[in-house]
Amino acid sequence: MAKPTNHPTARQVLFVDDEPDFLRLVQETLGALSAGHWDLHCAGSADAALELLKQRKMDLAVVDANMPLLDGVQFLGLLGKRYPELKKVSLTSFATEDKRTACLAGGAELFIEKPRSEEGFKSVYAMLDDLMNWAPQQGFHGMLRRVGLQDVIQMECLGRNSSVVEVYNESVLGRIYIEEGSIIHAAGGDLSGERALQRLLALPGGSFELAPFEPPPQKTISGPWEFLLMEAARLRDELAAQNVPGEPEVDPHTLAAPTIASVRVVETLICSGLGKVLYEADCADVPGRVLLLKKIARHAAELAQIAPLGSFDRLELKLADGRVIAQARPDRLVFVAVANTQPKP
Amino acid sequence: MINPALQWLTVRASPPGMLACGMRGPDGKFACHSVEEDCPAGKMEKILGHFDGLRATLYADPLAPRWSTWTFERGQIRFVVRPDGWLLGLMVRSESDAQPKLDPLSNEFLSLQLGH
Repeated sequence: MAKPTNHPTARQVLFVDDEPDFLRLVQETLGALSAGHWDLHCAGSADAALELLKQRKMDLAVVDANMPLLDGVQFLGLLGKRYPELKKVSLTSFATEDKRTACLAGGAELFIEKPRSEEGFKSVYAMLDDLMNWAPQQGFHGMLRRVGLQDVIQMECLGRNSSVVEVYNESVLGRIYIEEGSIIHAAGGDLSGERALQRLLALPGGSFELAPFEPPPQKTISGPWEFLLMEAARLRDELAAQNVPGEPEVDPHTLAAPTIASVRVVETLICSGLGKVLYEADCADVPGRVLLLKKIARHAAELAQIAPLGSFDRLELKLADGRVIAQARPDRLVFVAVANTQPKP
Repeated sequence: MINPALQWLTVRASPPGMLACGMRGPDGKFACHSVEEDCPAGKMEKILGHFDGLRATLYADPLAPRWSTWTFERGQIRFVVRPDGWLLGLMVRSESDAQPKLDPLSNEFLSLQLGH
């Protein structure tokens, strides 16, 4: 029961329903409403629908929720597995909340009642046509295993992207705002700014999602992202070194794990790979530091040749009352020195 | 004095995830212990020898670190230098049991009776 228009840009729409009268009505009314914009294909059973799907790629399948044998909910699930890109809509004569929930959970993007009037068909046509115009989101969709929150933020910053990273676990929800590659705001619990960022990045466990950018309520962070991430990494390493078994409970207001050592940044230097100073704070001997970073870069490259450990990430020096973190990469050199201070609650 | 060093490395410094470890005495002699096949003792000797090239720079005042940790994609190398000239090198795999033991082992090495 198909009346293809053979128009090259026509949408391929499949209706699956065991009521021949309804399918006939669909052909007449929706065929007229679409004015050649749709190619309508009708199937009286799940088998017939699957046969049509084998023959032609469809843009949309509209499935009766109350078909015999293989009901609409099961059929939606089957379609979802075989044709994951196919958009699906569920139609029913008797809408109930349970059926609606089941159909939407089964992969239907819309759950609508069968139209009984010309106005009803117009409304359904508009909804279905609009649904087919929804463009899939650009970019990749998938899962990355063993990629950390910090890695994702680094990728967003390096790519000069704008996004909001939502970080959450059972007791904490935080947001990190990245605008054109710069971290501009972070908030979580009662905290905001750099402290919130550091605590979120130092959370001992949880999940995160990358959401489209939206302007933050305020901008609280302005420093270079490299430094912010390195400082957060240091804090996280300190927590890991405390060797707390399992996932310690985090205070939902302060985002603090049971014990966090407090530190003060005493020196910061960020240079280009060639040693041009990009950012400096309290660095008494800039040329000396640049020379040291270059030496570290050279030695790290040589060590990487000998040790089977992959590429170099950073050097950490444990001092009597603090530590130094040095990063030497082809595109940047970073030196951060921190001093231990009294622990804060 | 290399035998006590080797004994300490074998008994104490070989938790799961340790790839290789080694010491260099003030007299320039090495005691290295390999745990994994792809990190033979000779490689650890080479790494310890290589560290000497940077030692003077890193240990110059005012930095004077207690130890240095070189983090790579798949693991870390820890170097600890004692005032009496002994040098310790530990190479561990990332996220292994050995990684959190780097600090206790380094502290233990710093207080170890090794002689000259």
